[in-house]
Amino acid sequence: MTNSTGERRYQVVWPRSKRQLQPRPLAPRLDTLAGKTIAQLWDYVYRGDEVFELLEPQLEARYPGVRFVSWREFGTTHGAEERELLASLPQRFRELGVDAAISGMGC
Amino acid sequence: MRASAACELAGVPTSSLVCEGFIGQAGTTSAGLGLPNLPLALVPGHVGNQSDEEMKQNVLGVTLDAVVSNLLEAPEDAPPFDEPSPREIVFEGSFEEVNRHFTECEWSDGLPIVPPTVEKVEEFLAFTDRDPDEVLGVILADNRSVTIWSIAVNGVMAGCRPEYMPVLVALAEAMADPEYGVEHSGNTPGAETLITLNGPIIKQLGFNYEQGVLRDGFQANSSVGRFWRLYLRNVAGFLPHKNDKATFGNTWRVVLAENEDVLAAIGWPPTSAEFGLEAGDNTVTIARYTGGDMMASVYGDTPERVLPYIADAVLKQNTWQLIFTVGKSMGSLRPLLVLSPILAQTIAKAGWSKQDVKQYLFDNARLPAWEFERYLGDWTDHVIRSLEAEVNLGRIPRVFLESDDPNRLVPIVFEPDDFMIAVAGDPLRNNAITFAHNGRLGYPVAKRIELPAGWEARLAEARAR
Repeated sequence: MTNSTGERRYQVVWPRSKRQLQPRPLAPRLDTLAGKTIAQLWDYVYRGDEVFELLEPQLEARYPGVRFVSWREFGTTHGAEERELLASLPQRFRELGVDAAISGMGC
Repeated sequence: MRASAACELAGVPTSSLVCEGFIGQAGTTSAGLGLPNLPLALVPGHVGNQSDEEMKQNVLGVTLDAVVSNLLEAPEDAPPFDEPSPREIVFEGSFEEVNRHFTECEWSDGLPIVPPTVEKVEEFLAFTDRDPDEVLGVILADNRSVTIWSIAVNGVMAGCRPEYMPVLVALAEAMADPEYGVEHSGNTPGAETLITLNGPIIKQLGFNYEQGVLRDGFQANSSVGRFWRLYLRNVAGFLPHKNDKATFGNTWRVVLAENEDVLAAIGWPPTSAEFGLEAGDNTVTIARYTGGDMMASVYGDTPERVLPYIADAVLKQNTWQLIFTVGKSMGSLRPLLVLSPILAQTIAKAGWSKQDVKQYLFDNARLPAWEFERYLGDWTDHVIRSLEAEVNLGRIPRVFLESDDPNRLVPIVFEPDDFMIAVAGDPLRNNAITFAHNGRLGYPVAKRIELPAGWEARLAEARAR
């Protein structure tokens, strides 16, 4: 295809492909952390263990009765078994009574 | 972010701890997971270079409140994605205008692209018997479908010839293989994929497999390599400053085609045989490599004289990558050694097989245990720090604890077969090159290239054009 001056014109298609997921709703947020159980998920790098140790007493002081399930309970979230581990989380959370999760480290 | 997404979808609210430089990537990754409003808790700076006190101030001064907010306050709902359909004409213009548009939309790698018109795409589709709408898989980070149509579009853009289409389809299938781990393609070491090609298709399509095999200048090698990076960008969704967090990165690699004449002459199997495919099959093999170096002037007329230099170089090119041997993806380091033909012939004429070379590397590319552990602990701050503990837990082979001497020499991989060996390059120059592998985050995967019916006739017709 050319225009009136003889210049070639191109009609081009989109180089991407369809997203398989439209935005989905997040889980409902909690009304308080008091008395709730929070899971710690960690990819075993970038001092996540130290960050959790800093957060824990502060959250306990603000929200009485909050308890934590250590990252040690789950194993690394970024290893060779990542897919299996993530697939197991819903069941593990039910078993452990988990209400919320803190996940790190995105670094 | 994938862990947080799994929690949210299970009905458990999350807060994701994200260092400052990774907020953008976290956002685009979340969108690909279908949760664009996934709540993030900023960790100022990067914890890897903060004192304990600096990190404490940052976490308690900034991160703590964000964590609370993430878990208690619902963010606004994310609007639906509004994107074109695959065959939609998204732009009309001159060559220069099309290229400007593609650059502005981040659909180009910065070099001029061939405008993907429907006519050009159909030329590529003529070299596959598969339905253009067939979905070969779904790939992260964007969670988009791998389709024959999108392969053809990006093949056009990369400057491929239509008859390369069977190679491109095999590559996209490999990219979608979970074993490869495409979702890790934006990690900070910035590893780049190397494509290794085997089979008669090397000569049929004119791939360079001799001198300058990894140099641009050969349409097949260069354009297929470029296709890989464009497909990672446009379909997987790895864009610098977004999902691609390569600290430095490097340009896409041209295709490494093996010298199958030499392999046949010395009786060594091709790379594809490592994956159970037959010599003579047309195949692609992919794996991600962070770096490496070449060995110039490898002197000697026997394996015993040639291989010490090579083993030494292979060892020295694998440093922090040892975290893939002993770490969170145990035993996944697969270093690649590419021998020039004359080196492979020198080794083989003494009766050595490729397996013998792998065994030699396993036995000789070794370092003191204390030095191995320094990469795991002090230098990278990974959780696993002791080879002895890992052996005693049964997680790594006993070869890593043949004594309790910290100076004992330990291998850099789990077993000899973890080394991969290819033969290519200048036939009469005694050089080699080795690549440091990125472990589970780009694990080697091979696919057979399926040719369409009447391949020879279609090829002859294409060559005549």
